Amino acid sequence: MAEHTTTADPFGMWRDWMANSERQWNGFLNDAMATDEFSQTMGRMMDGYLNLQKNMNEVMGRYLQLINVPTRNDILAIGERLSQIEERLDQIEDGLLRRDAGQPASAAGAPLAATMPRPPRTKKPARA
Amino acid sequence: MTAPARETTVEERVRQQIERTIQRSIKGLEYISTGDPAVGLTPKEVIHARGTLKLYHYRPQSDEVYRVPVMLVMSLVSKPYILDLTPGQSLVEFLLKKGFDVYMIDWGVPRPEDTKLRLEDYVLDFIPDCAERVMRDSEEDEVSVIGYCMGGQLATMYGALHADGPMKNLACFTTPVDADGMTLFKQWTDRRYFDVDRVVDTLGNVPPELLFASFDMLKPAARVAKNVQLWDNLWNDEFVKSYRMFDRWAADQIPFPGECFRQVTKEFMWENKFAKNELEIGGRRVDLGKIKAPFIHIVAEHDHIVPYEAAKPLVPMIGSEDKREVMLKGGHVSLVAGGNAIYRLWPQLESWLGERSV
Repeated sequence: MAEHTTTADPFGMWRDWMANSERQWNGFLNDAMATDEFSQTMGRMMDGYLNLQKNMNEVMGRYLQLINVPTRNDILAIGERLSQIEERLDQIEDGLLRRDAGQPASAAGAPLAATMPRPPRTKKPARA
Repeated sequence: MTAPARETTVEERVRQQIERTIQRSIKGLEYISTGDPAVGLTPKEVIHARGTLKLYHYRPQSDEVYRVPVMLVMSLVSKPYILDLTPGQSLVEFLLKKGFDVYMIDWGVPRPEDTKLRLEDYVLDFIPDCAERVMRDSEEDEVSVIGYCMGGQLATMYGALHADGPMKNLACFTTPVDADGMTLFKQWTDRRYFDVDRVVDTLGNVPPELLFASFDMLKPAARVAKNVQLWDNLWNDEFVKSYRMFDRWAADQIPFPGECFRQVTKEFMWENKFAKNELEIGGRRVDLGKIKAPFIHIVAEHDHIVPYEAAKPLVPMIGSEDKREVMLKGGHVSLVAGGNAIYRLWPQLESWLGERSV
C-alpha cells in the first residue's frame, strides 16, 4: 500500500485539486451572490443599462424620423403585420388540407414525406 | 515484484505526458482552425411551420413503430438540438431506433415582434395545435409528450388544461415547479431590485446574453475550470468533440419572449404560483392534479440549474395513479445528453414509455 501511494499520479492530484478548487470557488461566490447587496448591485447595473438603452432608442428614433427613415418600431410593426398575414395563410392552407383530407395525400398538396411509406404501428415492448 | 512495475508505470506516465503535450499542441491548432461540429443531423421533415415555430417529424428508423407517437416539447430559453446532438449521442435517434415515432416542437429564435407571446399562446394554442397535427400526421388519436426543463413546465401546463385531451403519457426531465428551490434565480429576480416591467418594456425580448450570463453565474468558476479541463484533454478527440458540442449548445441561448418572461418572473419566481397550484393561464387555473395520464419525472442528482428542491413537488402534485420520480446521477445537461444519458436516462425512458405506447 505504501509503495502504491508513492507512485501517486501528480497529474491526477492536480486534477483533484482543480476539481476541489472549482467547487470551493463556486460555493464561495454563490454565497456572495445570494445576498441582498449583490441583488441590489445587479439591479442598479441593470437600471443603468436600461437607461442607456432607452436614451439611445429615443435619440436614434428622433434622428431616423428627422432623416425620413423608418425606425425600429416601424419595422417591427410591419413584421407584426406580416406575421398576421402568415398566420392567416396558414389557416387557409390548413382549411384546404382538411377539405382535401379524403383525397390521396399527394393530391392534397401534402409534403413529400407524407406520401412516403411508413412502418406499421404494431411494435410491442420486448418484455410485454 | 512491485518495484519494477512502479518503475514501468512512472516511465509510461512520463512518456504518456510527453505524447499528450505534443498532441495538445497539434490538436490545439486544429481546435482553433476548425468550426463547431454539426448537430441536429437526424433526418426529419418540417410538417408544420408557424412564425418561428417548426414541428418536425423524424424519419422512422425501425421496421415497426409503437402505436402512440411521441412529441418533444422544448424549453423557451435554449435550442432543441441538445436532444439531437450527433449520431450516437442523440436521444431522438435513440428513440427512433427503439421504435418510437418522434415529433419535436422547435420554438425557433423569437423575433422582435414575438415579444407579445405569452404562456397562453404556448399552452393554449401552439402545443394543442401541434398535438393535433401530430395526431393527424400519424393517424392516431393519442400522443405521448416529453418536456425538458421549461419544456416540462409547458407540457404539464398543457396537460393540466387539456385533461380530457389526447395526452397518453407525460415524461418530464428536470422540470422546476417550486421557485423557492431555485435560490439564486429567486434572489437575483427579487422584486425589490429587479424591475421586470422596465426590462421588458425597454428591451422587448430578453437578450440571450443576459440569459447566458445568469446561467453562467450559477457556477462562476466553471468557465475557468472547463478551459483547463479542455487543455488537459486536448489530445483526446472524443473529449474535444463532446466539449465543443456542449459548449456550443450552452452558449447558443435564444431571446426569451418579453411578455412571457414578465409572466414567468411574476407568476413563477415572485408569487410561486405553480407550486401553489394557483397559476392561471387564459383565466383557467392550472391544476396539476387534473393530469391523469401516466407520468414520470426524471431528475438529476447534481442539477445546479434546477436543484432537486425546485423539482421535488412535481410528482406529488400530479393527479395520475401511475406516476413516479426517478433520480439519476448527472447534472442538468448530462442527464439528457452525453455518455451519462446514454446509459442512464435513455434506457429508463425507453422502458417506461415503450410499455405505455401500445
